[in-house]
Amino acid sequence: MPPAPPRPDDRVTSPLVRMAVLSGVAVAVGGITALGAIAFVDAVAWLNDALLVSPRARVQVEDRAALVAAATVLVPTLGGLLVGLLLRHGAIEGRPLGPPDAIRAVQTRGALPSVRSGVVSSLAAALSLGCGASVGQYGPMVYLGTLFGALAARVRTPVRNLRTIAIGCGVAAAIATAFNAPIAGLVFAHEVILRHYSIQAFAPTTVAAATGFVVANVVFDRPALFLVAFDGVAHGYEFPLFALVGVLSALLAVGFMRLLLAAPALAARLRLPAVLRPALAGLAVGAVALALPDVLGIGTEALRFATIEGAFAPWELALLIAAKIALTALCLGWGFAGGVFSPALLIGILFGALLWTGFDGLLGVPNSGLVVYAICGMMALTSPVIGAPLTTILIVFELTHSYDLTIAAMVAVVFSNLVSYQLLGRSLFDVQLARKGVDLSAGRDRALLDAVPVARLIHTDMPRAAADERVGAVLDRLAAAGRAEAPVIGEDGRFLGLLRAQDARDREDAKAGALARRGAVVLAPDTSVWEAMAALDGFVGDAAPVVDHDGRLAGMVTEAAVIGAYLDTVHDLRREENAGA
Amino acid sequence: MRAPRWTSAALAALLTMAGLAGLAGPAGPARAADEAAPTLTVATWGGVYAQAQRAALFDPFTAATGIPVETARHDGGVAILSTPEAEGWDVIDMIDADAATACAAGLLQPLDTHALAAPAPDGTPAAADFLPGSFGRCGLAHLTFSTVVAYDDRAFPGRKPRTIADVFDIETFPGTRAFRREPDALLEWALMAEGVPRAQVYDLLSTDRGLRLALRKLDTIRDHIVWWQGGEEPVRLLASGAVAMASGYNGRFFDARVAGDLPIVTLWDGQLLNRDVWAIPAGSDAPDAARAFIRFATHPDRLAALGARIPYGPARRSALDRIGLHPDTGVPMAQHLPTAPHRIGAALAVDSDWDANTKALRRRRFEAWLARGGDDRDLTDPATRPK
Repeated sequence: MPPAPPRPDDRVTSPLVRMAVLSGVAVAVGGITALGAIAFVDAVAWLNDALLVSPRARVQVEDRAALVAAATVLVPTLGGLLVGLLLRHGAIEGRPLGPPDAIRAVQTRGALPSVRSGVVSSLAAALSLGCGASVGQYGPMVYLGTLFGALAARVRTPVRNLRTIAIGCGVAAAIATAFNAPIAGLVFAHEVILRHYSIQAFAPTTVAAATGFVVANVVFDRPALFLVAFDGVAHGYEFPLFALVGVLSALLAVGFMRLLLAAPALAARLRLPAVLRPALAGLAVGAVALALPDVLGIGTEALRFATIEGAFAPWELALLIAAKIALTALCLGWGFAGGVFSPALLIGILFGALLWTGFDGLLGVPNSGLVVYAICGMMALTSPVIGAPLTTILIVFELTHSYDLTIAAMVAVVFSNLVSYQLLGRSLFDVQLARKGVDLSAGRDRALLDAVPVARLIHTDMPRAAADERVGAVLDRLAAAGRAEAPVIGEDGRFLGLLRAQDARDREDAKAGALARRGAVVLAPDTSVWEAMAALDGFVGDAAPVVDHDGRLAGMVTEAAVIGAYLDTVHDLRREENAGA
Repeated sequence: MRAPRWTSAALAALLTMAGLAGLAGPAGPARAADEAAPTLTVATWGGVYAQAQRAALFDPFTAATGIPVETARHDGGVAILSTPEAEGWDVIDMIDADAATACAAGLLQPLDTHALAAPAPDGTPAAADFLPGSFGRCGLAHLTFSTVVAYDDRAFPGRKPRTIADVFDIETFPGTRAFRREPDALLEWALMAEGVPRAQVYDLLSTDRGLRLALRKLDTIRDHIVWWQGGEEPVRLLASGAVAMASGYNGRFFDARVAGDLPIVTLWDGQLLNRDVWAIPAGSDAPDAARAFIRFATHPDRLAALGARIPYGPARRSALDRIGLHPDTGVPMAQHLPTAPHRIGAALAVDSDWDANTKALRRRRFEAWLARGGDDRDLTDPATRPK
């Protein structure tokens, strides 16, 4: 049966208790995550100032050119060294954690990496960002929310699905705080992490997102991330242009993601020791930043400049896009801790600005100005990377409060997602998970059943036959047990095949070993239930043998057991996805 | 004749008493010291501001201590402290960032500003009563002033300028603009006019690209700018109709409008908040009296008295509630402060450290821009980028 630990039964808990528990968890996780996210952002900002990463700190010592140059090269390099050591010795996985780990834990109901690894990973991310690595800050914040949610779910309560919901709460609060965008926060939690919209999960994640927003806005009065003025789309024919921005952004996004996925392989081919990789990536960032300081860190200044006409020449835009893509792939692929969200936003907005320069300058199309194209590019590039079209559309709405901008971005985002889904997949996270054997493309039931080995479904109480045994004796035992097949075991204990009753007719005196047939379906103990289902398609017989790697019989698994496991899982998912309050 | 050596503790105690008594009358010991009265020379900004200080600070100080106060006039900056003019100055009223620069250059005496400031009348420690950032190494903040743009109401009979972007919109709002010949405020306003939110102005001005963008924006009105030097000039230029808009200090524009009844309207959008501090020049030979003056002048009652005469925001919370009506016109002054709740939303607080540390760079770029004249350059072309 599926590996579900004994779970409390809703039917015996009163709805009032469930609502109270879920609301309490939502407020607690939302509040703590918001505080954690703010502390994270502040720590990064402090490091950026102290280490001369932020332009505002650099300009104040600009008369000491040697100091600025030394800091530019050494800070990311030494920061990378520290990050490498921290992850190597602190995190059990030896790598930074991020949204894919949260997605995997929720979708397959698997264990989350340890709390220690989570804390170390968050510290490593703060250090990476603080030292100016070209990585994002939202991935680590999402993981911080996941961590707090999972911790809250350790409290013993009589509520089903509590861990999933609590993680959703943490993620929603993290995004709500980070972007000052509570609606986007709650949609992100559903779209990327939970991947369903049950009332039971919706209410708490909404409460958590609102809590994060209140903490960020009312208590700490954080400034909005992005303020632009936009007067509306002037011409109807611009909507196809927005769609074109979406398609072109998708192509760039796919290239960006392929590079991100290829970077670790490059490091492996170069035989670079893992602990030194971030330092080398940092050195590359520093060297490029000597000539192109915009590549350092998150790049909020460049993000703003991209919305101002004439701030960049077209070649500057192209250069910065190329540098940012290459360095982000290098930093993330070679072991800096951080996310892809912020680099994607920056690359996208620069790309949108570049496309506008083309439309406006080269083609001379009358248009509504740079801002809307830049925003379309920003969101159209980001959405396929994180696999969250609704979230990105809502972020535009909540950040700009402009309905016109939102509609334009929506068109670009939708086309971008269509193209990139065909070319690569739902998101970078999903592709990364698929490469680790967690394939979510066929739905959550597959991911769940993929995580369950068939060994859990076997039975061992079937009659067995020795190879040199007389067939007649075996048939007698089979008749007594009401079975039609018996596994035949050789002298060395290895599985030889199945002796089927219909093969044995009139051959009672033969040796069992002579009639054993290895049949079409032989499973290994670590074959997943999902694979077993595929293998058993068209299977005829009582049960399929499960044979371990030494050739010994571990047991038999019936088709009924596999189908039962599937039905249980689907039923369970149904219940979760349709759960009320 | 110079002062006998006052012990600062005795003087401080005396002044606290005087402050608490609301300066009902000169106390005995102060009278007794009259004969030996030294003269304290206070360097300040001149004009209606100095007049307000005379009434709210200098005369009451003389009444309380018997020390006469003479004023000297300056127009800001750090360089003035090294000139012969500055010899004999005992106290100077200067901008926060300038004080930080002058302090680092050894032109000011280090001050224990925490100990110098008197506690609030209700016993609140000075550290909690003063606004954050008031205590410098050499200077103690006493007020918040605002650098704003004001316009001649007669110049725009129809549509009025409303935002800082309108200052750069020469087509809709034609006319000459008068600015102080300094990069301060101008660069901030230029970026705001490009749509940069206040919270990001200094981050963007910290980049080469931001400076280029700001100067490019200035280029669009280059031919319509005249420059002023002293703080009272903008009012004169506006009053005479010589310019349509002018940058300047909010208190002087207020005075021109309310006391002078001139048609000058302040544009609060994009107002830049800055602190003025009291500091003691390194060359002062009456530092004890100077410290006594600073302690006296930063008492909440004195700050409120100044705030009632000219609308600059006091640096102490306890002084805010004490600001009453303008003594001559009866105008309630609290709502005219740049820090009033309905004004603060449009304000950008100047980052004093950034201001002091980037002054040289900004001046270099600004002077290069001035020297370039009216030629239009492609700002994104590295060949013409100013180095």
